Amino acid sequence: MTEIIDQHQEGKRDVTFRVFRFNPQVDSKPYFDDYTISAERGITVLRSLNYIKEHVDATLSFRAFCQAGICGSCGMRVNGISKLACTSQVWDELDKCREPGIIRVEPLRSLPMIKDLIVDMDPLVDKMTRYSNWIDSTMPLADMGKKEFLISEEEFQQYDKATDCILCASCVSECSILRANKEYVSPAVLLKSYRMNVDSRDGIHDLRLAELVKDHGVWDCTHCYRCQESCVKSIPIMEAIHAIREDALESRGPRDTSGAKHAEAFMEDIEKKGKLVEATLPIRTNGVVWTLRNLLPMAMKMIVKRRTPPPPPLVKSAKGIKIFRAMFREMTEHVKQDHLKSHKK
Amino acid sequence: MKRYAYYMSCINESMTKEVDRSIDFWQKDLGLEFVKLHEGTCCGGSNLDYVSPKHFALVNARNIALAEKMGLDLVVSCNTCLMTIRTAKKKLDETPALKKEVNDILKKEGLEYRGTSEVRHLLWVLVDDVGLDTIKAKVTVPLKNYRIAPFYGCHILRPSTVLGRDNPLAPSSLDQLIEALGGQTIPFEHKNRCCGFHTLLVAEEESLNVAAEALEEAINSKADFIVTPCPLCHTVLDGYQSKALKQAHIDSSIPVFHISEMVGLALGYTAKQLGIKRHIVC
Repeated sequence: MTEIIDQHQEGKRDVTFRVFRFNPQVDSKPYFDDYTISAERGITVLRSLNYIKEHVDATLSFRAFCQAGICGSCGMRVNGISKLACTSQVWDELDKCREPGIIRVEPLRSLPMIKDLIVDMDPLVDKMTRYSNWIDSTMPLADMGKKEFLISEEEFQQYDKATDCILCASCVSECSILRANKEYVSPAVLLKSYRMNVDSRDGIHDLRLAELVKDHGVWDCTHCYRCQESCVKSIPIMEAIHAIREDALESRGPRDTSGAKHAEAFMEDIEKKGKLVEATLPIRTNGVVWTLRNLLPMAMKMIVKRRTPPPPPLVKSAKGIKIFRAMFREMTEHVKQDHLKSHKK
Repeated sequence: MKRYAYYMSCINESMTKEVDRSIDFWQKDLGLEFVKLHEGTCCGGSNLDYVSPKHFALVNARNIALAEKMGLDLVVSCNTCLMTIRTAKKKLDETPALKKEVNDILKKEGLEYRGTSEVRHLLWVLVDDVGLDTIKAKVTVPLKNYRIAPFYGCHILRPSTVLGRDNPLAPSSLDQLIEALGGQTIPFEHKNRCCGFHTLLVAEEESLNVAAEALEEAINSKADFIVTPCPLCHTVLDGYQSKALKQAHIDSSIPVFHISEMVGLALGYTAKQLGIKRHIVC
């Protein structure tokens, strides 16, 4: 019995939580409060915050509900990384502290602050609305509530992982582009849009896609993979973003957005030379006027430093380009066959 | 001598020629031999995978198969090429039907993708294969007076399911290389953040904001220079630096080096030899 108590004691230590504080009604700027509590091995960051609120400082504000990684309410930054407080073990976090024994707790980024660790989720909800992130059912009204609307298992597999999203906004907080521009659609909204757009019961795919390809939409993602890396449900968010792009190119072609034209240029160049023709990439993406206006001063500097990409005729094709091209085109035939088969289905 | 197949990234043959040029100077000094894959083609630059997933698989199966034919691992010196080729490899290894379809086509060139060659970054080869002790022993001009900001970039770290060498939240390989060369790494919050390269032509303002944040931290930390293992990050942080800092209303500048140049400097080669004078910010 004594042995058990001793082991229990060893699994206990003083831990300091350095918590972000800000009440816009009284504070002119944010500050940090340190709370040192005796924490047991196995305790989570959320339980520690609950303890602090109940026993140390009742004014500390944060959002939480299920305490089991299901509701997504307690998204916050722990030691700089956006995650759920309820599934973050204090003992694991102690290994990641910049200052030994001090766990930093801050609100999510890129969403307006309300108080302390609470951020305003309304901008995210507004974006879900703007991109119509619901199923607009194709079932006739008369059948509603009377019939099941079934989908195949194969179809469900396509968005099974995407439905795991609990809207905790960790990906929103970690997104590089959203940090640079709050208008950006955001990864959580793209994931949800993908999930709706591949659902065969939905009737507004084209409308949603038309919105997604506009400015601040799917083409503004910079492929940094921070969203995917921070997802508390390990959802491959970038695969969903890529799938929307693939769908946009297939359904709409590269006609209307610079992002689509940019992506298509890679395909063209690889088929032609096996190499990217970088010199004309800006023109093919955005046209001559944009290129001259935006890149001319830099191009001049690059000419002086002799680091401009070579003009198209001087881009050497990869060795063995002829056979490569034949193989590339053979794959094009395979892809055409795949499309025919999927349309027949 | 350790031999590797060396993948020639498009950007290193056009805008950042100094990368391959500097590697050529010191590869033998470190007991390395990089056999250039002149038959290799563009990896698709993190775009082909959604434009046409099957072409993406074919192109990169071929890039790896060329290395496999020589019985060598494939070494890459661009983060995005690394991530892209490794993503294709993972897909091919996990999808036997795709592998078969691709191999049926590759037969025409007498190639077969088997999945036997690893795809690795130059940085990993330096730290893991050459080893920090060997590198230390070869240093003739230690970078001891320099405070260096390590900028890893995204695609050498994320997605970690594809990359897996460094902890994406606390990477250390570049820091270790800097220290082995005698330099001093500085704490750098932006070390694992994004440079904004992939949206430069699509959302320029956002990209430059992303780049400016990293540049600003390095400048405020009084770093002597930034070093990066990726020529795409270099292109933004060096080539677009003045534009990014102007947009962020910051009146300053900071040089940005490739890892290959940093190694070259520490091994006694001159800035002129290594092509450092070709940078926009010197």
